[in-house]
Amino acid sequence: MLRKLLVLAAPLALVLVIEALFAAGAWEPFAEPQSHAGTSLDLEHALRDPAIGRIDYVTIGSSRPEYGIDHALLATHAERLGRTHADLTMPGTHWTSAGVLARWLEREHPEVRGGIIALSVQDLAFAYNGYYELGILQPFRRVDDLGWIAARIPFAMHDVASYGVVSALFAWRDDVRAFVAAPTQRKEHIEWRNSHRDPRHLLFGNPESHGDMCRWGVDGLAACDRLEAATDDDSAGLRRQCRELRTRAADAPDFAAGRAAAELPAFMSNTRDRVRAQLEGMHWPTPPVVILMPMPRIWNDVLGRGQHEWALQILQPLADAGRIRLLDATAFFDADADRGCGSFFDFYHQNAQGRERFTRWLLPQLQGLLYQDATGTPASPAPTLDRPRP
Amino acid sequence: MLFNSIHFLVFFLVVLALNQALRRWPTAQKLMLLGASYYFYGQWEWHYLLLVWFSTLVDYAIALRLPKTPRPRRLVVLSVIVNLGFLAVFKYANWLIATWNGGVDLLAAPAWHVTPIDLLLPVGISFYTFQSLSYTIDVYRGVLPPRRNLLDYALAVAFFPQIEAGPIVRAREFLAELDGDQRIAFGDVKYALVLIALGYAKKLVFADNLALVADPVFDHPAGLSFAQTLLGVYAFAFQIYCDFSGYTDIAIGCALLLGIRFPKNFDYPYAAQSIQEFWRRWHMTLSRWLRDYLYIPLGGNRRGDARTYANLMTTMLLGGLWHGANWTFVIWGGLHGAYLAFERAVLARLRWWNAANPFATALRVAVTFHLACFAWIFFRARDLAGARAVLANLAQAPAGADGLGGLVLLLGAMFASQQVGARMHYKERIAASDGPLFAVALAAAMVAMVWFAPTHTAPFIYFQF
Repeated sequence: MLRKLLVLAAPLALVLVIEALFAAGAWEPFAEPQSHAGTSLDLEHALRDPAIGRIDYVTIGSSRPEYGIDHALLATHAERLGRTHADLTMPGTHWTSAGVLARWLEREHPEVRGGIIALSVQDLAFAYNGYYELGILQPFRRVDDLGWIAARIPFAMHDVASYGVVSALFAWRDDVRAFVAAPTQRKEHIEWRNSHRDPRHLLFGNPESHGDMCRWGVDGLAACDRLEAATDDDSAGLRRQCRELRTRAADAPDFAAGRAAAELPAFMSNTRDRVRAQLEGMHWPTPPVVILMPMPRIWNDVLGRGQHEWALQILQPLADAGRIRLLDATAFFDADADRGCGSFFDFYHQNAQGRERFTRWLLPQLQGLLYQDATGTPASPAPTLDRPRP
Repeated sequence: MLFNSIHFLVFFLVVLALNQALRRWPTAQKLMLLGASYYFYGQWEWHYLLLVWFSTLVDYAIALRLPKTPRPRRLVVLSVIVNLGFLAVFKYANWLIATWNGGVDLLAAPAWHVTPIDLLLPVGISFYTFQSLSYTIDVYRGVLPPRRNLLDYALAVAFFPQIEAGPIVRAREFLAELDGDQRIAFGDVKYALVLIALGYAKKLVFADNLALVADPVFDHPAGLSFAQTLLGVYAFAFQIYCDFSGYTDIAIGCALLLGIRFPKNFDYPYAAQSIQEFWRRWHMTLSRWLRDYLYIPLGGNRRGDARTYANLMTTMLLGGLWHGANWTFVIWGGLHGAYLAFERAVLARLRWWNAANPFATALRVAVTFHLACFAWIFFRARDLAGARAVLANLAQAPAGADGLGGLVLLLGAMFASQQVGARMHYKERIAASDGPLFAVALAAAMVAMVWFAPTHTAPFIYFQF
């Protein structure tokens, strides 16, 4: 009887073995380098590189800080102080993926003293941004992260995309399907990535960016009217962004009404509680520096009413209590003569000029907020910083 | 309730557990299965259970009366009228009305227009009415005594693994299973699990993904190249095979786990070397039903060639119409009738065609497959205009196969698997394996489903018939 039960259970046991292998990273060498998971794998690979050594400070965030902060400048500055400051920003990073990455750092780089959590006002609308985050966090998650992740990314029986919360086989589903559809292309991408891997550039360098937005402007959604009238292929990406922006504008919640209501809407209170708990749960010796990254003026037409104020309402109490250091750079480029168009290469991301300007302003702030233990000077008092002037 | 749902998985596990627990109390066991079957069917639309009950009660009563009545033929005719009457009203009324209205429009007589009836087609009506009819006809013929147990007969009609989309299990086959030993050997359990796992894999991995290739070809044929259209037709041929045989495998596997053995319904049909053989391998329970209750009563092949061809054509036309209320199904059936007649009249007499060498075999298999594919164009098309559009694409000069290499390989592999499967009977081998083959095959099927099932799966194709 036992033998029969074992025979019947064997297929399921084999599936569980395959699941365990995938959870342990068996598919990672075959993952698409240009995917969310592939980007995370490159970062993990760089962080594990023995040549990198200790890491003292990190910058965690999405593509806004990836392009918007001059990581080479920060790295050079930290190096002069005898420290290292690594760039861990990745496109699409949001609260859950940032949290799993921070948890991974606690295990694998416990020497990290502090860092920057760089986001934007937009990232404080909701604590959960979509199942795509499962791809970003997959290479960093361990078995004991399951409860933490499941509390933040809802598992929905009717939605296969959510099964990646609990199963590595499902988490890698899209990647496996893409591999089967185009195995030769995958091989080429992996070979190119392996031959061009540069952990130092990934952690201490900057991505390339070109151009600016002065042809269209970044003042408001009128820029999209101008773009949508154009037909050239070069601006096809910007037109796609315009469609996203218009959808966001149409769907934007009214945060002012929410704040004024007798009871805060559930999605706002959930976001507030989750974000605060996550920031308070970070165990770096130096409180994290939370930066609200610059956004071009067009976002005034896109964000919900009172959304900026709501973002500050979430974060300010933590800053007042000294749990974080807060820098609100949302309107950093607004007062520019060109109204910011020369500092962005699309509606989300700063170009090299904007990046450098912003970072040169940021560095002195970081000296007092983050790097103070490297110089022996006492930490600055908990700041309540006004919006910066460039 | 759909087989490809979590709801069904939970439902089946509960029924399986109860079936085992009640095995010492056969009546309670059958009551549980009947209740479960009604629950299963009622999940779709509770009101149409009334039709199932009515059909059951009418045929049960008629069968009981048949041995006693001096005019049994009249009672059988009544059974036919009741069962086919349901089909006529629910399935064909609006089609007949639309055809009438079309004719009336041609005659420019709008005053004769008839308003269509607002009726939902009951799921499985084509299947359970045929099953029920087989009972009264078999009792009439003396093949089967009337069942003096309404519970048994009701279960034969409504048994959930087959009520929605077959196989068409004749009452005498089902009742024989109820009367027999329903203990399941360990080998049967393994075979059932192989059928269920591979059935789901055929549906979720192959059928649903092939639908993504085939649907645009049939739903939006404008501007497609010859190669795209041809591959779309091939894709549909395998989609419908994987969809329907996958469903049948799940149904047979589930029934087997409950101690009921269903007849086989598919036997690698694309390995057939003639259309006649195709129909011995495709939807075998329907083709046997049509043979025994339509073709043979019409005279079969016993009344000369002309009558044989007419009987073949009639049987296949009605078989086509059984699938759906649309002229495309009639044409599909008519094509198969014409194929069968042509085979008898011409091909059967050609020595070179029927030679036993590998080349001739390959030629017969290839031609049979393509004849079936040609007919599938009409089966799948929404209407005659749609079929014409697909045919027009196929009439183009062959070109435009760029980027389709992967699809060609996949379809070629599926075709090859039919030839191999027909010889190797791999499902039986997997089930009989004492080594790791059983574990590996089922694990591979499960992992394939995890990875390749589309995010949104479609209902089984044959649910609409």
